[in-house]
Amino acid sequence: MGSLYTAVTNIGNAVKPNDPAGTFFFLKLFTISDGTMPSFFVFVSFLGPLLGISLGFDSINSEQSKGTLSRILSHPIPRDYIINAKFTGALFVVSVMFFALSFLVLGIGIMVIGIPPTAEEFVRIILFTMLSIIYVAFWLNLSILFSVRFKQAATSALAGIAVWLFFTIFYRIIVNLITKVLEPSKLASPRQLFLHEKLKFGLKQIMPNELFNEATNILLVPSVRSLGPLTMEQIQGAIPGPLPLGQSVLLIWPQVTGLIAATVICFVLSYIAFMRREIRSR
Amino acid sequence: MEDLYMLTRKNLLSLSLSALFGIMTIYSQSVNAANGVTLYTPYTNISVPPGESIDYTIDVINNSNTIQNVVISLTGVPETWNYIIKSGGWNIKQLSILPREKKSLSLKVEVPLKVDKGNYRFRVLAGRFNALPLTINVSEQGTFKTEFTTSQANMQGHAKSKFTYKAALKNRTADKQLYSLRAQAPRGWKVDFKPDNRQATSVEIEANNSKDITIEIDPPDNLKAGSYKMPVSARTSSTSADLELEVVITGSYEMELTTPTGLLSTSITAGNDKRVGLLVKNTGSTELRDVNLSSSAPSGWEVVFEPKKIDKLEAGQNTEVFAELKADKKAIAGDYVTSITARTPEVTSKVSLRVSVKTPMFWGWVGILVITIAAGSIYYLFRKFGRR
Repeated sequence: MGSLYTAVTNIGNAVKPNDPAGTFFFLKLFTISDGTMPSFFVFVSFLGPLLGISLGFDSINSEQSKGTLSRILSHPIPRDYIINAKFTGALFVVSVMFFALSFLVLGIGIMVIGIPPTAEEFVRIILFTMLSIIYVAFWLNLSILFSVRFKQAATSALAGIAVWLFFTIFYRIIVNLITKVLEPSKLASPRQLFLHEKLKFGLKQIMPNELFNEATNILLVPSVRSLGPLTMEQIQGAIPGPLPLGQSVLLIWPQVTGLIAATVICFVLSYIAFMRREIRSR
Repeated sequence: MEDLYMLTRKNLLSLSLSALFGIMTIYSQSVNAANGVTLYTPYTNISVPPGESIDYTIDVINNSNTIQNVVISLTGVPETWNYIIKSGGWNIKQLSILPREKKSLSLKVEVPLKVDKGNYRFRVLAGRFNALPLTINVSEQGTFKTEFTTSQANMQGHAKSKFTYKAALKNRTADKQLYSLRAQAPRGWKVDFKPDNRQATSVEIEANNSKDITIEIDPPDNLKAGSYKMPVSARTSSTSADLELEVVITGSYEMELTTPTGLLSTSITAGNDKRVGLLVKNTGSTELRDVNLSSSAPSGWEVVFEPKKIDKLEAGQNTEVFAELKADKKAIAGDYVTSITARTPEVTSKVSLRVSVKTPMFWGWVGILVITIAAGSIYYLFRKFGRR
């Protein structure tokens, strides 16, 4: 609810610096920022992980420490229902929240600007919302995994936040360090330079937040045509223009796949761990 | 002070000079005819074109010591010529001059338009005393008609240009004439007459005057190369003049390159081929030979034309050419520009195609496969561990 409020006030700020020019005008609502407040999608990429972690970090271990888990299991319920329900319940909350937020932004946007979004813009916004849900689902699964693994709720919460911090801050520093060491000289061949850029890009792809940022960028800014380094040969003869929706989706498909795969892996691990553990009363 | 001095010096000089000459003239005349009356005019042989009038100023000098009464008359003037003798604002026949004095009279002789070329001699008689022989040399054959001439009757240009001729219409008749200006223009031609830079169909010219007329000819745009004659005429009920203008059309080389539908965009999947139909149109007035097709595509792209060369293309005809576009495998999604040029030594035509590149679906399917495998593994887990 708190993030909803901040997001809405943020949109109020973001609408003002809009210029009425531009083909995908409505999408700017989500991307434009006046500098004082980050734009909507930055907010989502920043608060989404925290939301996911906070929803999942105590799902199993707090039940166990309170002794409610064995009580539930004394009822005739299959065991996997508990972890499935923990995940789907939180995912449902997240989905409702994000759709509500997006439609709220959409509605306020229409009210403020008076221009309805085009069909393509609408689809892009829906896809962006779904992408945000997948992204939060990843963090949710990660924290469920921690909550299965660690007995203490505080430990799993800290572990989740540590992973998040690692990816948002420290991993970036490490990547910079590695690429700095491996940086070719200025006299290196273009191929070497290109490979170096490619390596830099590849190393960043491990970060789930980077994947999410790239995907949202492509979805919400249709004029972005490519991710990663480009050669001059690819740019030559190209003229600026927005990509059609299908091409945008195709472009971010690896990122989306990566995010979904990471989510599924976390879920699978926590599922196996939960199913195999011994559950006793405190 | 000095200025004033200079002025007076100058005046004095000119005064004394004129006085000297005056005395000399009178002296020389008086030698010829010491007695009676002498006629004098400086210009005794004048050359004029037909239709002009000549003003003579004749001095009648009395050399005697008595008043002389002189009858002034002309002999030898052709019948059709008019003349007037005037003095002191009057038409006169007779002139009386004080002793040792002179009197001026003016003689106006009008040379008619219809006169033969040659010398005409006549004499001015001063009674019985003296005769002044005068000669008028008519410099050209006189006419009584209209003349319509131009210094440059032939012009060359291509069919889309305008031809501007400068002509002169001369009324060599004795009356004012209202000429109607006409051209026998075939269909598709446009001929404008512009006296005084304004378009008109008729022009009024005073007797013995002329007017410059600009004639603008705009031939049809698809006219074949060749030489065309354009007779124009200026006519009234009594007189007319014809002028034949010649327009030489050079063949124009024009070509247009486009697609059969006019659509200049296409889409292509990266790494794949696309066949694009092109249309080469000969919009000029001569046939085009050896039309070469070339392209400038982004690097890594290939464009192959079929056929590569058009040997001959008649005026007004079009022919279809196919271009096989092959996009680079590494081309990124979005729009690229490929320009195709059709070139002959005389003319080129260029067309820019906007090519939307689509990325191949292959990796999309791989992604879907990965997701399916993940979902399948979850299903497998549910089957294995579920409902325990």
